[in-house]
Amino acid sequence: MSSGRAQLPPVFVYLSSDDIMLVLTASHLRKTYREKKEDLLAVKDVSLQVAAGEVLAFLGPNGAGKTTSIKMIAGLILPDAGSVKILEQDPHLNPKALRLLGAVLEGNRNVYWRLTCQENLEYFGVLRGLHPKQARLRSQELLERFSLTHKRDRVVQALSRGMQQKLAIAVALMHQPPLLLLDEPTLGLDVEATEDVKRLVREIAVEGCAIVLTTHQLAIAEELSDRVAIINNGEVTVEESTDELIRQFSNSAYLIETQESIPLVQQQKLEALGVELESDRRIHLAEPTLLYPVLEILKPLPLLRVEIDQATLRDVFLKLIRQP
Amino acid sequence: MTRILYLFVAELKREWILLRRYAAEAISGIIGLVIVFYGLFLSARYVAGPTAQLGDRLDAIVVGYVLWSLSIFILGDIAGSLQREAQTGTLEQILLSPLRVSYLFLIRAIANLSIQFLLNLFVLLAISALTGSQLSFSLAAVPPLIAVVLGAYGLSLGMGSLALLVKRVQQVLGIVQFVLLFLLTVPIETWAGSSQIFGMLLPMTPGAGLLRTVLAQGKPVELVPLAIALVNGCVYFGLGLVIFWWAEKIAKRQGKLAGY
Ligand SMILES: Nc1ncnc2c1ncn2[C@@H]1O[C@H](COP(=O)(O)OP(=O)(O)O)[C@@H](O)[C@H]1O
Ligand SMILES: [Mg+2]
Repeated sequence: MSSGRAQLPPVFVYLSSDDIMLVLTASHLRKTYREKKEDLLAVKDVSLQVAAGEVLAFLGPNGAGKTTSIKMIAGLILPDAGSVKILEQDPHLNPKALRLLGAVLEGNRNVYWRLTCQENLEYFGVLRGLHPKQARLRSQELLERFSLTHKRDRVVQALSRGMQQKLAIAVALMHQPPLLLLDEPTLGLDVEATEDVKRLVREIAVEGCAIVLTTHQLAIAEELSDRVAIINNGEVTVEESTDELIRQFSNSAYLIETQESIPLVQQQKLEALGVELESDRRIHLAEPTLLYPVLEILKPLPLLRVEIDQATLRDVFLKLIRQP
Repeated sequence: MTRILYLFVAELKREWILLRRYAAEAISGIIGLVIVFYGLFLSARYVAGPTAQLGDRLDAIVVGYVLWSLSIFILGDIAGSLQREAQTGTLEQILLSPLRVSYLFLIRAIANLSIQFLLNLFVLLAISALTGSQLSFSLAAVPPLIAVVLGAYGLSLGMGSLALLVKRVQQVLGIVQFVLLFLLTVPIETWAGSSQIFGMLLPMTPGAGLLRTVLAQGKPVELVPLAIALVNGCVYFGLGLVIFWWAEKIAKRQGKLAGY
């Protein structure tokens, strides 16, 4: 394995219908941070498997341990326990395994702000082991593909946040890794850029790349992923196909609005039922079986509307926690 | 090997682009160096009196000064580049490359040095022109220079390790620069007995002493001191690498790479 010559980068692993190829297997990852003698168990137990061509959304609220998990997979943080295998190689034991992955980490600082798009792509390409000529060709290809060709000679600093993010994804794909890690890829992007990034993620997956993306927005996970792993307090609580999860949670919440503010007595009765008020005339009801009991309490207040509301991530958690 | 070469070229290119794009910083740096040295020179002459013959000693000062500024540059390079990358957030992207970080930052430091070497050449020429001192650069100076540079990279890796673990190393760097001045100027060649042995253990000192003999006094290099200087350089370099690997491991365990 230790030939000194420049090796060709791995090609995308194409997914054929009868042969599902696991690209990532992370098992029982665990991480405790030690800060001034205080221990913080950031990741308790995280196991993930992702196949070629599959998008896994790693969904959880802020502080749940998503970034820590991603960095353990990327070999940037050493886990206290557990193992990471990317196509049978462990990035913590064998730095060459890093050639199998590309990552865009949280925030907007994945590339050099003082270099242009093209310079970034070529530099990182060589850094990841490409021949300079390959790097040049590949950068042209990606610039075109990501509609950045007209910005190729602009320094990154002068680009919009959305373009910076697209460039960061392009940089991560320079060496055609079979695994792509995206930490909050749409955070802080405007609507148009978000759509762009979503489209690219789907395309890249179709080409056979295994993708893990983290997000704290249910909607993003819904739109992009084939499977969802929900993480809360450092633990994966649910891992399910996205369709199944949505089926469970669609039609599961109601929005009730009254014309006048709900009197205190009724508010207390609602709280006793476990229903929380968004305001004194607005209720988001996550438990559909409670719809009529709630209406009973509100009677005879004039209603403005009752409608099906989209389940929020919070609803999902509450529901999951309530489940035995 | 070819990969390392490509990377070296890529680093050179990156540095060169940045230097050109942000040329004002580089040029002001050079001018600063020349002014500082010229100030040093003037005050030395003032202290010595206008009729004093500085001759050899002036040459020694020039050699010492250039060596010092070069070593300061090397010494702070890895730590500085690590810190900048951690601040701007690109450090983790760099760590995702299949090459060991220590090698990567060494390659980068050498690329930086090549460019810095060019700049220093300007400084040297400017100083020569300003002071009328003439250095005859002989090839014999190359081996001791390598010894000093190896030692300097060893210390640079050490400072880099510190930067990985505690992030802020500016103050320490400031102090180290003065220790460096001492290391590069102690005349151990004139010491005797056990203190000379002690002097040989100091980082970079034996090589710096040799350089003075060769460049300022025009004497030939002797083999034994040269061997000592080279061994000294290699040992400090190796030590630096080992410490860096250790620091990298700790930083990965603490999750501190991103400058949390
Ligand atoms: N390097 C670190 N040192 C100490 N605590 C950390 C460090 N990184 C993250 N944490 C803490 O660990 C927990 C999980 O963080 P993180 O993995 O960033 O979560 P997420 O990405 O899901 O928001 C948080 O409480 C965070 O404050
Ligand atoms: Mg995060």
